[in-house]
Amino acid sequence: MNTLSTYLIVAAILFGLGLLGVLQRRNLVGMLISIELMLNGANINFMAFNRFLAPEPAVGQIITLFVMGLAAAEAAIGLSIILALFRKLRSINVERAQQMRG
Amino acid sequence: MNFMTEALAQAAFWVVVGLTLAGAVIAVFPRNIVYNVLGLVLALTGVAGLYVFLGSMFIGLMQLLIYVGAVCVAIVFAIMLSRPLHLEVPERRLPKVLMASIASFIFMVAIIGVNLRTAWKPAVERSTDWSVVTIGELLLTRYDLVFEVISLILLVAILGAIVTAGFSRRLSS
Amino acid sequence: MSWLFKDPVLLAAVLCTWLPFLSMAIILIFTRHKPQLSSYISIGAVTTSLICALFLLVKLAHVGGPVEYKTAWLVADDIIVPFGYLFDSLSLLMLLIVATISFLVQVYSLGYMAGDPGFSRYYAFQSLFAWAMMDMVIAPGMLQLYIFWELVGLASYLLIGFYYEKWSAGQAGKKAFVMTRLGDIGFFLGLILLVLGFGDLGIISMNEAAQAHAIPGYLITASALLIFCGVIGKSAQFPLLTWLPDAMEGPTPVSALLHSATMVAAGVYMFSRIFPFFAASPTAMAIALAIGTITMLLSSTMAMVTFDIKQVWAYSTVSQLGFMVMGLAAGGYFAGVFHLTTHAGFKALLFLCSGVFIHEYHSNDMRDIGKGGGRNLKIPMICMTVGALALSGVFPFSGFFSKEAIMGVLAAQPNKIWLLAGLLGALMTAYYSFRLIFMILFPKKIDQAAPHDAVHYHQEKDDKIRIDHEHDAAGHGASHGHGSSHDHEEGHGNVFWYMAWPLIILATITLFLGLFQSSLQGFLVGHGAEGHAAAEGGHGAGHYALLIAAVSMGLVGIIWAYLEFGRKGASQEGFLARLPRIEALFANRWYIDHFLRRFLDRAIYGGLTSVFTRNDRRVIDGGIDGFCLFTIGSGRLFSFLQSGMLQYNLLVMIATVGLVVLYFMV
Repeated sequence: MNTLSTYLIVAAILFGLGLLGVLQRRNLVGMLISIELMLNGANINFMAFNRFLAPEPAVGQIITLFVMGLAAAEAAIGLSIILALFRKLRSINVERAQQMRG
Repeated sequence: MNFMTEALAQAAFWVVVGLTLAGAVIAVFPRNIVYNVLGLVLALTGVAGLYVFLGSMFIGLMQLLIYVGAVCVAIVFAIMLSRPLHLEVPERRLPKVLMASIASFIFMVAIIGVNLRTAWKPAVERSTDWSVVTIGELLLTRYDLVFEVISLILLVAILGAIVTAGFSRRLSS
Repeated sequence: MSWLFKDPVLLAAVLCTWLPFLSMAIILIFTRHKPQLSSYISIGAVTTSLICALFLLVKLAHVGGPVEYKTAWLVADDIIVPFGYLFDSLSLLMLLIVATISFLVQVYSLGYMAGDPGFSRYYAFQSLFAWAMMDMVIAPGMLQLYIFWELVGLASYLLIGFYYEKWSAGQAGKKAFVMTRLGDIGFFLGLILLVLGFGDLGIISMNEAAQAHAIPGYLITASALLIFCGVIGKSAQFPLLTWLPDAMEGPTPVSALLHSATMVAAGVYMFSRIFPFFAASPTAMAIALAIGTITMLLSSTMAMVTFDIKQVWAYSTVSQLGFMVMGLAAGGYFAGVFHLTTHAGFKALLFLCSGVFIHEYHSNDMRDIGKGGGRNLKIPMICMTVGALALSGVFPFSGFFSKEAIMGVLAAQPNKIWLLAGLLGALMTAYYSFRLIFMILFPKKIDQAAPHDAVHYHQEKDDKIRIDHEHDAAGHGASHGHGSSHDHEEGHGNVFWYMAWPLIILATITLFLGLFQSSLQGFLVGHGAEGHAAAEGGHGAGHYALLIAAVSMGLVGIIWAYLEFGRKGASQEGFLARLPRIEALFANRWYIDHFLRRFLDRAIYGGLTSVFTRNDRRVIDGGIDGFCLFTIGSGRLFSFLQSGMLQYNLLVMIATVGLVVLYFMV
């Protein structure tokens, strides 16, 4: 079943799982991991469209590279934020960070 | 023989998908952060395989290089530098889990629904140039802005990471 | 305005009814500080009104039917409310009565109210009353009648509460106004019913339609009963009768004018105005008859135990009004109107005489007046006796003829109980009138047990005799030994004559009015009118028996009073003093006031106002408070969203996006 919809559904499931992780996990690093999953889901989408629909295959790959680079940058920053937050809160429990409570 | 190859290819495809999804599950559900990272590694490797299935060896290799090689290792570093969460063990709050599940489920259903309902129309003219040379050429000519921007982003990210992690270290020590 | 001057009748009418208004306006605006001028303006206005009323009577007496001057004042679709004048025999007669008595009372007040600080105000209100009453009398439509009826009520309130610094006077004025207003609610409802059902409030059209049976029976009964409520209020019938005795707080001339002759007669006048309308509903007439009888009997009993000279005449007025209502309700149009006329004369006379006594002795109590030597004031004493004889129905005074007329009408009723009630009332009337006369004529002997008081009284009497000799009085033996509160050096003789002449005139009228019965009858009803000839003027055996019965009742009452109060060595205590419970019942006005007070407290304060207060507090305040609390509560609820938890924010975002996509997909 090498159709577009297969890949899209796989990507959607990956995204959904990543979303669930982001919303539910208390560990900050766990949240970051889930975010990476989401990004990868999106990337698969791009590649699938590139394979089945796009006029030039190279363009899709460039986009995918771009997203990957972005993901790397974002992971770097995210980790440094987690480190900074850890130093402040002495914990990586996201539920501890509630200073903006209304 | 073709049938066998076909079947084998199909089986391989489904194995890769299964690994990806298993990895994702391992990345999300267990509480042990190391399990999660390893799950992430598995998932990302699976995704690389999927890229190969989708016709681009280059991107698959890039995936392995960037994600598995750099990002996951960085995450492991971060884990090592932070206090493990299992020392605290706060209890799981059911309403939060429930709401998160429902929200993500709704979202997933929405996306899948859109996917299935749309009649995807392939472009009229499709070229078959999958070479890396083309990618490189395009990056430096037509899409050089993309190239420059991504470099800039990486630069900013590095600087930001240094600043974020560095200042607070100075403050805390 | 040229239309005004072309027609002398109209000119006379307008002058008659509107000059008092002009005088009131001038007095209130300009001459507040010039009491003499105010009084002259007012008396001038009312004199002109009297002349105009006489002129109108003479001019229009022989016109066959009513003369109307109308203008359409309020017009709405097919309902036209007129404003103007209606001159027929009844209104002309009443106009003359009002004008005459207003004139006499205002002249009398020159003497009675001399030196009072509110002199101008008094005359302004007198003019107000005269204007309102006269305009009410000549009203062609019920709405105009109602408007001026209310204005008369206003004048009454202002005049009752004239001595406003006295708390009881203010209370009495309020009570009068509120009680009459209560009756007027019924009156107005009746008018509304009439407008809705019949569509026209013109008096002539109402009467004609009722006589022609053009209005459905239930409508006539319902609106007649409601309109009768106005009569109950204004003419102090049961149960709204207690305001009239309290209204004696006002100056005596006011009592003479308003609360004996004219204002309270307005109710009876209105009854006779729409007499054909009322007569078309036997139910309403029966109820009116019952109420009139109850009123008459009740207030006669109340008069028998009171020692206040004005209260006696007040209760007497209520009783006589009840008697008039009885006469009218029994079908005797002429009888009722005739009694109204004669009553106006002799009751005003009685009040004015009492006023002289009160002015002299500064006390309303008849015992004090008697002890102070009231019998020595000859003119008032003689006039009061004349009035009392008329009231008791003794031949040849006017009261005799009018009472006979009403008795005759009552005798014609199938049920003789009304006649018996009337006779009983006549008995009681004679009794209490002469109780008063004898108490003043033959005061109780001064007790030996209280020598100090005896000396005091002797002293007073000596003072009076001495001043009498000193004074250059007009030789009538009347003494005016009051304290130095008035400055009557120069106007003293005049004061006396201002008060004396109206008395003499009224006494003369009372004496001779009876002789005019047949001509009045002809004037009011027309010769040979159906339904009335049988009751009045018929000379059958039954009629003579009735005559003897009524006169004997009066004489029995007089003799009884003489036995108890008049002869030498009389105990001066009525038979009622031996029945203290009954005496208390009469003295407390049959506890009507108490009942009304309790009804007010329980029903209105306890019932209605508590409902409204509760509604105000719980529903209105509670609603607003509830709304505020709801806002606060929901705010508190929504503040849970601001938990500061990153993941909750993300959750809401994702869920929203998902739902939006789903919505557009499905």
